[in-house]
Amino acid sequence: MNIDTEGRFQAARVIGRGVNAAPALKSGIGLTFVLALLGTGARLAIPVLIQQSIDHGLQPGKIDVSFVTTLCAYGAIAVLVSSYCLREATRRLGTRAEVGLFALRSQLFDHIHRLSLEDHNNEKRGALVSRVTSDIETLTQFFSWGGLGLLLDGSQMIAVAVVMLAYDWRLALVAFITSAPLVLVLRYVQSRLVNAHNLSRQRNADFLGSVSELIAGAETLRAYNAEDQMIETVSDSMSRRKKSNVRAGVIGAFLFPSGEVFAVFTVMAVVGSGLLIGPSGGLTSGALVGFIFLTYRFLEPIAEFTEIIDQVQSAVAGLRRVLGVLDTPIGPPQTLHPQSLPKGKLSIDFSGVSFAYSSRLDADDDDTPVLHDISLHIPAGQHVALVGPSGSGKTTIARLIARLTDPTIGKVFLGGVNLVDVANDELRRRLIVVPQEPFLFANSIAYNLLFAEPNATESHMSEAFSELGLSDWLEALPFGIDTQVGQRGSSLSAGERQLVALVRAFMVKPDMLVLDEATSSVDALTEVRISRALERLARGRTTISIAHRLSTASRADRVIMLENGRIVEDGPHSDLVAAGGKYAKLFDQWLISTGSGEVE
Amino acid sequence: MESRFRLAVSLLRNLLRFHPRPFLIAVGGASLYAVCTVASSYGLGFVIDEVVLPRFQSGVSDVSAYFTACLIVIGIGLLRAVGVVFRRSYAGVSHWSTSESLSKKLVRHVMNQPSMWHQRHMTGDLVARIGVDSDTAAQVLGPLPFSTSVVLLVFLTSVWLVVIDVPLGILALVVIPVLFALNLGYQRRIDRHYDSAQEALGSLSEAVHESFDGVMVVKAFGAESREQQRLAAISTKLKDARIKAVNARAVFEALVDGTPSMVNILLIVAGAYRVRSGSLSIGELSSFIYLFTLLVFPLRIIGYLLSEIPHSSSGYKRVTEVLSEERELNPRTKFCETSDGKSVQLADVAFKYPGTNDFVFEHVNVEIPSGSKVAVVGETGCGKSTLLKIIAGLLAPDSGSVAIQDRKCSIVFQEPFLFSGSIRFNVTLGKTASNEQVQSALWVSACDEFISGLEEREDTVVGERGVSLSGGQRQRVALARALAADSGVLLLDDTTSALDPATESLVIERLGSVKRQITTIMVASRPTTIRIADYVLFIHDGVVEPLSTHEDLLHSNVAYSKLMTSFEIDRRQA
Repeated sequence: MNIDTEGRFQAARVIGRGVNAAPALKSGIGLTFVLALLGTGARLAIPVLIQQSIDHGLQPGKIDVSFVTTLCAYGAIAVLVSSYCLREATRRLGTRAEVGLFALRSQLFDHIHRLSLEDHNNEKRGALVSRVTSDIETLTQFFSWGGLGLLLDGSQMIAVAVVMLAYDWRLALVAFITSAPLVLVLRYVQSRLVNAHNLSRQRNADFLGSVSELIAGAETLRAYNAEDQMIETVSDSMSRRKKSNVRAGVIGAFLFPSGEVFAVFTVMAVVGSGLLIGPSGGLTSGALVGFIFLTYRFLEPIAEFTEIIDQVQSAVAGLRRVLGVLDTPIGPPQTLHPQSLPKGKLSIDFSGVSFAYSSRLDADDDDTPVLHDISLHIPAGQHVALVGPSGSGKTTIARLIARLTDPTIGKVFLGGVNLVDVANDELRRRLIVVPQEPFLFANSIAYNLLFAEPNATESHMSEAFSELGLSDWLEALPFGIDTQVGQRGSSLSAGERQLVALVRAFMVKPDMLVLDEATSSVDALTEVRISRALERLARGRTTISIAHRLSTASRADRVIMLENGRIVEDGPHSDLVAAGGKYAKLFDQWLISTGSGEVE
Repeated sequence: MESRFRLAVSLLRNLLRFHPRPFLIAVGGASLYAVCTVASSYGLGFVIDEVVLPRFQSGVSDVSAYFTACLIVIGIGLLRAVGVVFRRSYAGVSHWSTSESLSKKLVRHVMNQPSMWHQRHMTGDLVARIGVDSDTAAQVLGPLPFSTSVVLLVFLTSVWLVVIDVPLGILALVVIPVLFALNLGYQRRIDRHYDSAQEALGSLSEAVHESFDGVMVVKAFGAESREQQRLAAISTKLKDARIKAVNARAVFEALVDGTPSMVNILLIVAGAYRVRSGSLSIGELSSFIYLFTLLVFPLRIIGYLLSEIPHSSSGYKRVTEVLSEERELNPRTKFCETSDGKSVQLADVAFKYPGTNDFVFEHVNVEIPSGSKVAVVGETGCGKSTLLKIIAGLLAPDSGSVAIQDRKCSIVFQEPFLFSGSIRFNVTLGKTASNEQVQSALWVSACDEFISGLEEREDTVVGERGVSLSGGQRQRVALARALAADSGVLLLDDTTSALDPATESLVIERLGSVKRQITTIMVASRPTTIRIADYVLFIHDGVVEPLSTHEDLLHSNVAYSKLMTSFEIDRRQA
């Protein structure tokens, strides 16, 4: 019970915070509530009319039809007014919810884009997408159905209770006391229902996960004739899902009519008390009959609560996840007082830089490079190749220069300015990163170039292709610059994607380049095109290449070799080869592994 | 309207075939509920006429009448609740059992289709059909028993209302067509808004997915605000469609709430006349009005129930679309037995992808001696992987015949797929295998190196698609899987390229040390890998050259020597 109340308290806090994050949700909520209260008037009008008619118009032997008619005319006006109020309340709540959730979604989307790359690793990407889509959808569902239901049902219960008290406080007390145990029943069943719904949500997710694994692995299973074993596993998760959902349904089935069950007991208790009080106690038959109708009205909303409980839980869970993302600090943080970078080519300095991934516990994992106390000066305009085995820290150095992450200890300077003092907008205009597997949007080549430089004209774009020596490639494409590249650029080959990414980087005319060389094998002609384009792109710019092919390293002004997060060798290619150290050994190995029989 | 009705009937007939029993029980519960609902109005009339009015208007206190009333009202109330419990519980059973049956049928059908079929279908789409559409299709069974009770209720109430008082009954029944028409009109209007909202939601999630996928590019070009504007434009469409729907709904809710109240007021006025003329008692009038309010609630929501039908039927359509696709033949059933000393024989094989006009290759005649190592070489996109999949029996050749030693071979894909279970599970794929078999497969594929560093060794769970392993480690586990399958022919699609040169040579060395004679056919792009092969199978311009050695090809085939030189260009630049 304790945990339950705590959970509920937290739920209330979560909703409060969510409303604060999207202020439109609460704007004018007071008026909306008043309108909803008035809107339930139509449902109250009938019991009141019946009471009045019985007491004043329908006395035996003294039927006053004109009185009843006048009364009903007033009643009709009341119904019209309250229907209008109901419409307004529904409209206001629904519209505000859409406006508020629109804002929340935009805020969330922007925040996610500004999260650090660590928070964006592949594992979490699907989850981040569902924050913006399905979680916000859950909230929409809640506000347009459950939320509205809660508002109207709550208003109805309050309004009916007030009218009951106004009619006869004694009967009202009897009704409240008789129906009070319902609260206990509701609490008991509700917590079980919530757990059951949580379980079935979990089972549903498990089931979808296992189906998606089954389908994605279909070819593998077919290749090994292993379909049956996996189908068995999926069938198990299927029947677990069914059982949990049926269970939740059965609990809900018991909760649903509980209001009606209490209503019959309460009605008979009210009637019994009414008989005892009698005319001598100031009670009229009309009031008692009206009261019976009111009692049914009072407990009517309970059935609908059954449907809403699940929606509330889903909404709170969704909101909690959304707030969790908004609570994740953006990375790296932005400065309030930016300093501008010097004009022209930029130098790079590392001073005592160490780096460790804070979010990962398995620090000895392959993909977790750590840097130890790196100090480094790269003069403006130099072309530097970073080499070393995987996990040595090459990528981390590149990320630090591009400020995709900040050092744990130490500072990185660009043109003498500490990177943490550079405004993001300026940095992104001056420095461009070309990743190993460049991402292209599922649109035309032109769209992908405009993404980098929104003001570019078509002639700018074709100029860029010719300056990188790629005009012949562009002309060979069926629709030239309007060629669609497909999802993630899948209509192009890996090498061709690289080419588009290089032109895209060139569009910005940056002063500095960070290139992560591709490891995937590409055909010979494209390979030649890539190296030519790279060379032209790097010309006149400070360039940092993460070199996987040592041919790239041999063409750079300077080679920095890393091992286990430390610089082990640093100097021009020819010097390092001549020195016969670690780099020379690596280079030898590479020559052998790429050599064919003929060259031997 | 009529087509809609026919649609509903055929949908229900199809769905109810699976599990008619729980559905019938639910309908039984619903009927009990309907009968008790009508009876409860009789109970109320009894309370007013026999208990309340005698006490207040004639001063008679009849205790036994009160207890009789209690018995009637409470008894009917409890019975009605029982009806609800049965209706809702069994409606749930009916919905979920049917949904499970549909999913199971789909899974079996889909998993029996060959690779070719899977390549034509998007994974996400199939998952949606199996996991979501099967559920949507069965969803109508949830509220359906309630709908049947509404029909029964409307019928019984109509009769009862007319029995109580004919003119009043006819007046009350006017509300039925009015609410029905309101519902239909509203559904038609709202469907449009929901459709456009659904469409906007689809493009929104597509855009969000792509934008997060490309977060690196977005960050690199500082395009966060531009991306937000792009999303806001789509999001606005969604919001506008939803607000239109809310406005339509607000009017509907108000009408559907106000109309019955207005009819109710008319009933009171008309009732007053009837009471004055002595054709109706006050208790009868009260129970009449009570019954009327009971009738209104289900009528208000019948529209929602009706709207489930097109929803479910579109789900069912997506399910049957998959089920009605003919089961395609598993190419392996057409495998022939090889002649002595050969492990793979392709005779006049031709292949083209469906929907394309050009053959990937034609007239392929290849015979591979048992126990040899063959490198498949060619430019990107020349059909190396396709050839391997034909040999593996995953793709069916358009003509020609394929013979495989023991009709059994193992393939390791370029991008291996790992299941979320343990390393051991990924090696055995749930088949029975001795520990020695697993260990030796892990040793040959050089998995022992990294497994020894894992706390739970080969029982370590690798996470969804093997995320906790690096690319090279995943490749090695996939290789171990192929080795554990214990077939004479091993097909490697550029498998070793993800390994560093030292591991690659270790794996190749260990492969050679296995007792059993294994024929290895591997797609190779590294000169070192090509050099260790006994033979080379060179594919060029849609022609699969006859099996030859590296040296011979180098001297006799211009295209081959050109390709080999291009591998060198990079090296020579250094």
